[in-house]
Amino acid sequence: MNSAVDPTFNLASAVAAKPDAPQAPAKIKVENLNFYYGQNHALKNINFEIPEKRVTAMIGPSGCGKSTLLRVFNRMYDLYPGQRAEGMVGFDGVNIVGKELDATIVRTRIGMVFQKPTPFPMTIYDNIAFGVKLHERLNKAQMDERVEWCLRKAAIWDETKDRLHTSALGMSGGQQQRLCIARTIAVKPEVILLDEPTSALDPISTSKIEDLIDELKREFTIVIVTHNMQQAARCADITAFFYLGELIEVAPSDVIFTNPKEIKTRDYITGRFG
Amino acid sequence: MASLAARRAKDTTIKAISTVFAVFAIFLLAWILWTLLARGLPALSLGVFTNVTAPPGQNGGLANAIVGSLIQIVIAMAIGGPIGIFAGTFLAENGKGTRIGAAARFVNDILLSAPSILVGLFIYGFLVVPFGGFSGWAGALALAILVIPVVVRTTEDMLNLVPVGLREAAFALGAPQWKVVMFITWRAAKAGIVTGVLLAIARAAGETAPLLFTSLGNNSWSLDLSKPMASLPIAIYQYAGSPFDDWVALAWAGALIITVGVLVLNILARLFLARTK
Repeated sequence: MNSAVDPTFNLASAVAAKPDAPQAPAKIKVENLNFYYGQNHALKNINFEIPEKRVTAMIGPSGCGKSTLLRVFNRMYDLYPGQRAEGMVGFDGVNIVGKELDATIVRTRIGMVFQKPTPFPMTIYDNIAFGVKLHERLNKAQMDERVEWCLRKAAIWDETKDRLHTSALGMSGGQQQRLCIARTIAVKPEVILLDEPTSALDPISTSKIEDLIDELKREFTIVIVTHNMQQAARCADITAFFYLGELIEVAPSDVIFTNPKEIKTRDYITGRFG
Repeated sequence: MASLAARRAKDTTIKAISTVFAVFAIFLLAWILWTLLARGLPALSLGVFTNVTAPPGQNGGLANAIVGSLIQIVIAMAIGGPIGIFAGTFLAENGKGTRIGAAARFVNDILLSAPSILVGLFIYGFLVVPFGGFSGWAGALALAILVIPVVVRTTEDMLNLVPVGLREAAFALGAPQWKVVMFITWRAAKAGIVTGVLLAIARAAGETAPLLFTSLGNNSWSLDLSKPMASLPIAIYQYAGSPFDDWVALAWAGALIITVGVLVLNILARLFLARTK
């Protein structure tokens, strides 16, 4: 099953094989990861690496485990009794699945943006300040600066600068999602996890977010779960295909989408199932 | 298979019956309200609010009962409000699928439908008898117990309406649970929780039974919580059944005051809910 995932297969060098992608060390290293929802074995012996400052896409049909894996990366499953992970997810040499690292610290360094925009019921400014205040003590001027910085990074400053102190709930869905990205950037994570970030958005908002992802990978490591294969092909340097809880194939996106090794991958990307 | 005409006839009949009963229910309520206004309004005067209850024919008022009710309700809410909100928060945020959560929810549901006189009896046995007498404290405590299950239930329900995604988004920023609850979920459910508290106040304001054996009632001016304390429902209970016309009029005035107070609270709750949506 896992023949495409050769244990000696080194993603970093695979990326390096791409002419336009210089050497990228692994930011997150998944080794022999198993995940359970109660009795349900949702992820089966996953091994793979997320290269630093690259966009890694995880694709596959519903229920294949891609979102589950994303939620392992920031220990979101910790919130729910009965969900447990076994194995190793190395992040700067520490196993984030183990208990040595507090979940709040993992989540500060590995941020997440969700499928549906989730603005907090407060002003645009406070949406950003909430996360920052959890970790840093900034004075008013520093906070103003941080808010502007992350809103600019999320390409939404021009639309929000005159309404920072109005409710975030009054923004459009696309704006809300970019605000959520800004909010995530504001706490200066190293990795940003995106869980189908555009599936609730219109095409224009979607393309704005995709452009944004391209910008953000200069500074952040990005992992995106998507149902949209064009999106994976457009945005991602690396694409991993999951099926029924197993990692079937992982390779540079142009390889996966033009010349996949596995029949299952080919069937999926050509729309034969899923 | 019934013919179309038969089905239409059935439909019309059911509609007609429902309409008749709806009109009847509204008519009953309107009748009560009308009687209350017709009897209560003429009895209202400044003296009702400034004079203490007095023997028949001596131009008494309800000042001590109004103030006594206010004091006991404020204390009841100060005790029951936080307990209810925190317990409801526990049930919604931590108590899902746990044994203690299920037990607390079950007991709360029983308390919610328990007859209020039972609460009065409980406080009577638990506070009044051992501590040697009726007191404002006992009355306030009885009301607090009455108020807790209402607040627990509404708080839990309102917090359950907050989307899971909002909580997860806050956790994803590295927030510890207490901050997620305080700054995100409470905030998102604020309007609903406040409404629950206001409705609980409305419930406490009209209860007579739990006060009968606890704060008893007091016909003179007293702010001493360790002594028996007057309250509007008790005053109404005493006066309405009396043979004296001026007392009966005062009972109607008291009933009107409670009703208007509860109505105002309900309107405030609705306004609050509409404004923060």
